[in-house]
Amino acid sequence: MATVTINQAEKTYPNGYKAIHGINLAIENGEFTVLVGPSGCGKSTLLRMIAGLEGISSGEISIDDRVVNKVAPADRDIAMVFQNYALYPHMNNYNNMAYGLRNRGYSKSEIDNKVRDAARILQLEELLERKPGQLSGGQRQRVAMGRAIVRQPKVFLFDEPLSNLDAKLRVDMRLEIKNLQQRLGITSVYVTHDQVEAMTLADRLIVMNGGVAEQIGSPIEIYEKPATQFVAGFIGSPAMNFLTGTVSDDRTHVTVGDGVKLDLDHDVEAGRTVTVGIRPEHLTLVDAQEGRINAEVRMVESLGAETLAYLDFGANADSVTLRVQGTHQFAKNEKLSLSVAADKIHLFDAQSGKRI
Amino acid sequence: MYQSKWRIFTNHAILILGALFMIMPVWIAFSSSSYTPEYIFQNGLQFWPGAHFFDNYGAILFDPSATKGRVTALEMLFNSMVLGLGFAIGKVIISMMAAYAIVYFRFKLAVPIFWVIFSTLLLPLEVRIVPSYEVVAGLGLLNTYTGLILPLIASATGTFFFRQFYRSVPDELLEAARLDGAGPIRFFIDILVPLSVTMIAAIFIIMFVVGWNQYLWPLLMTTDDQLYTIVIGIKQVYNSLYEGGQIPQFPKAFALTIMATIPPVLVVVVFQRMFVKGLVETEK
Repeated sequence: MATVTINQAEKTYPNGYKAIHGINLAIENGEFTVLVGPSGCGKSTLLRMIAGLEGISSGEISIDDRVVNKVAPADRDIAMVFQNYALYPHMNNYNNMAYGLRNRGYSKSEIDNKVRDAARILQLEELLERKPGQLSGGQRQRVAMGRAIVRQPKVFLFDEPLSNLDAKLRVDMRLEIKNLQQRLGITSVYVTHDQVEAMTLADRLIVMNGGVAEQIGSPIEIYEKPATQFVAGFIGSPAMNFLTGTVSDDRTHVTVGDGVKLDLDHDVEAGRTVTVGIRPEHLTLVDAQEGRINAEVRMVESLGAETLAYLDFGANADSVTLRVQGTHQFAKNEKLSLSVAADKIHLFDAQSGKRI
Repeated sequence: MYQSKWRIFTNHAILILGALFMIMPVWIAFSSSSYTPEYIFQNGLQFWPGAHFFDNYGAILFDPSATKGRVTALEMLFNSMVLGLGFAIGKVIISMMAAYAIVYFRFKLAVPIFWVIFSTLLLPLEVRIVPSYEVVAGLGLLNTYTGLILPLIASATGTFFFRQFYRSVPDELLEAARLDGAGPIRFFIDILVPLSVTMIAAIFIIMFVVGWNQYLWPLLMTTDDQLYTIVIGIKQVYNSLYEGGQIPQFPKAFALTIMATIPPVLVVVVFQRMFVKGLVETEK
């Protein structure tokens, strides 16, 4: 149980590459924080800086108000779960979990108690004598988590722990991790590039891009009010539709494509060029008339619970994605009319990508 | 892959011929070692074993005069064993530690140092044999096991193999160990050494055979019969073949040769599986 405070942390590699550009973050006691972003955004680097596996070029990282910049990884009272599990292949699962305790000088009986407790929580009791090579991916991941929880650390760090698992197992393990974290109440930092994992696990989500935290907030906050065009495009699947548009003189609508007028409800100056963001689920099918997007079906994906249609419209063949609930038969080249409520339109500055 | 009968037949024929080609001289040496010297002298090399197997082998194993020196074949086998084991164990330990330093510790000269070690592959022992002899003589280590083994145990080959192996060990393992509170020595002993077992076995076998077959260095280093290795012993026996006056002891020379080949062959046969495993796969 601990807080983690990151104050203006930066990371510059010896070759001059700056991976982290000054991040500020306060993680509260027991909070599940998820770092999400595309590969190369610095999320793993930040996690490894918290772990002490990467040095901190400037700024401070504190765990429970103790600055840990110079503290060795083993002395930070953290535990980490790696993407490839990083179990010791020559040790059986019991010893994998016990190794860290042995190095810390616990007595034999203490170690035995702790390992068996952890094994019971994770349902690994039957597998303790086996070696990691004899386990399935999901079981290995559980052993790796066991190795983390036996130490009862102040902070759990997860580095894309589920990305080596198949889709079904990933969902199961996701629930298991969430469950475990809530039960143990240990402050956790979790890195992933998978937005579904990010949305479902996080108490607080940090969307990173290019070494900068683009937005920090609860998953729903970020979904409903993305701070930048990048965040809007990254969170939500299928991705948000972006169209370039111009705000009308009376500021009641924005013109996109070749003259489609969408109603506006924003406080934005007239004539400004903006990026219009519309989530695929916020487009609704309507009768053809003025002010609607009159589009043609290019491709359809039926997922059962929902149907995705990829549409083109206008002379410039602007494209949008439409998402409707349930199954829906669209023919190729079928003409559709779409509208969107004014309060579901996101506007971003065309240059900076900042939310308006 | 589909193979026709004809193809299987030719493949086997070629392999069998190759095997015969390699084995035949050894077989003839073995057969000829079981005759009396007089018989071989009169009739030449023999293809089928004769009746004096136990006489000849018994004599060279236990009777110093049979090997024309003051040392029996048994003692020479022991010396060879000491040299082979010392050579192999020394090389494995030294090269593991050298590779560990090169791969896991980021010191400035790691790369140049590695290439210096690696380039010594180009320089065989013979190139440095005179200075090495000087050093050993200066330290007063002539005619000792230490002097015989120590100058040989630095190994570029071993360092290279272990370096390649360590580089293939995932970094996360080191990181996990660091988080588990293992320092550099603990990590080496608890994680790296157990992971390298097959590699160690492979290097050990190669080095044991190389050490066993050392010729020039022991020849230079040992002037005392008591330290002769079996390879040197063979040479002594053959030497005496030309010293006239007696019937050449061909069968005993052959017997010594056969005995010199048995231990390395046994080591390779017994450890073959581990050996191949260590060279072609890694347990991760």
